[in-house]
Amino acid sequence: MKHPNQVQLALWSGGDLGPWDRWRTGRHVAGCANCAGEVQALRAARQKVREVTAELPENLNWNQLAEEMSANVRVGLAAGEAIARFDKPALSGRPRLGWNAAMVIACATVVFGAAFWINLPRPQMDHLLSALGRVRVDRVGKLVQHPAAATEDVMLEASSLSLDLSQNGRTLSLMHPHSDAVTVSVSMRGSLGVRYVDADTGQVTTNKVYDAEQ
Amino acid sequence: MRSSSVLGLILLSSAAFAGVLPKIDLPKDSPVAVIASDYGESSETARGGAMLLDLHAALTLRNSSQRRIRGITFLVTAQEVTPGGKGSVTFTCLDVGPFETFPVHMDLRLLRPLQASSGGVPVQIGLDGVLFDDLSFYGADKLGSRRTLTLSEFEARRDRKYFKSLVAEGGPERLRREILDSMTHSADRPTLDVQMVRGGRATNFEPEKQVQFAFLRLPDSPVDPMGGMARIAGNEARAPRLEVKNRSDRPIRYLEIGWILEDHGGRQFLAGSVPAELNLAPGQKSQILENATLKFPARGGAPLAIEAMTGFVSSVEFADGSLWILSRADLDTPQLQRVMAPSDEEQRLIQIYRKKGLQGLIAELNKF
Repeated sequence: MKHPNQVQLALWSGGDLGPWDRWRTGRHVAGCANCAGEVQALRAARQKVREVTAELPENLNWNQLAEEMSANVRVGLAAGEAIARFDKPALSGRPRLGWNAAMVIACATVVFGAAFWINLPRPQMDHLLSALGRVRVDRVGKLVQHPAAATEDVMLEASSLSLDLSQNGRTLSLMHPHSDAVTVSVSMRGSLGVRYVDADTGQVTTNKVYDAEQ
Repeated sequence: MRSSSVLGLILLSSAAFAGVLPKIDLPKDSPVAVIASDYGESSETARGGAMLLDLHAALTLRNSSQRRIRGITFLVTAQEVTPGGKGSVTFTCLDVGPFETFPVHMDLRLLRPLQASSGGVPVQIGLDGVLFDDLSFYGADKLGSRRTLTLSEFEARRDRKYFKSLVAEGGPERLRREILDSMTHSADRPTLDVQMVRGGRATNFEPEKQVQFAFLRLPDSPVDPMGGMARIAGNEARAPRLEVKNRSDRPIRYLEIGWILEDHGGRQFLAGSVPAELNLAPGQKSQILENATLKFPARGGAPLAIEAMTGFVSSVEFADGSLWILSRADLDTPQLQRVMAPSDEEQRLIQIYRKKGLQGLIAELNKF
């Protein structure tokens, strides 16, 4: 049989245990003479403490007691601030170690970059270079190239059934017959065309779509 | 009672559909007039959160001028749908005499969000230009129709002359062989879907690389291509740069460079043309830059992988308005024969041969 420890017995005797522990400990104490004696001793000690603390000393000066307590709190706070200042590095100081750390990080970065560059496969290197090149052109080239941003969202598309001009989810399509005799023409100035011979009229018909700059 | 309800519904739906019919806007002094219009198979249907307008216009036009019409271009706009763009429908190789009527068909489709409809006219059709047999022109020419129609007319005259010469030299059978050869080349010519974005950038994962142009030098060309490059990434080609030199003794104001792409399997196709409006004096050099991206999506088979490019001068307009176009000898160059589509007129004549046979074709040639 396992006996409750001193802490559990002390809490049980004061009524401070939770419901499950209270029931379990109470059941044990009811059947265990040793633990019941221990509980009895704890209750007697508590009663003695109550009696002692109930008698306040004569001429107790509550104001003086409060001032002493406040003074102690202030001393504690001041001591805490002093310790905090001692632990922090002074802001005005220039630690020599900072430059050293920066140098180490810079060297490590250079070594890592060189190793990355040397070991990068050729296609990935080309891709990276072209991406960097595009960033440069986009940032710098906008000053000298066509003002393309306004019409970038206009998409022209030629398929086997239609010629489409799409913008913001809306589409204007010029339809043509599905035929091998359909000829697609592209002008890099911003237009797509599809030519076919109309089966009914025999006319050579060319549908075209243009972006806004055309 | 039931029949009157059905009639009411029909009238209601036709009245509602009348609101989406195109507005045809021709100038008062237009050399053509609309004398009939039929939108019989047109429809407007809701598809999810969008409205789909299928517009099939069959118009009957009359040449109200005193000259024969060779070509006509209509401007198609749908401001509510695509404020950033427009379309056109061009009819070439016409031969419409004064006060004769002729039919034209236009098939359009508009897809727009339901809430975007403001109740206005969704499509406007206007006249951009008319070319007559004396090469005079009428119209606003916002789309460069004068040049397009004139080039087509020049090519038509070149090809009719060539086919007539074949008949004169080798008889009808010689013409038949040529037409059959042309049909074979058309069938063998690769066709691709294409997308274009102005000012776009490569969207492929493949690394972008700069590829130099090789040039096909044509002996009679008034322009010499000096060099050039474009950016290629997988099936995308963009930002071509070319340098050209005027080697003629006349100033040039417009030229077009044809652009042939070759994939890793050696298959070639005509990607498009790089046009340039410039002022190029005799002996002078100039650079041509275009900032557009072409993408050739895979249709069925493996995606295209562009490996090489070839450029050639395809047309030139001099400052005095005269034009230089490829000759039949130029077109017989093996590389051009593989990629160049037949001219508008050649395609029309092939269609006549298919429908009416050799005698019908010869009769058509003899009209001019």
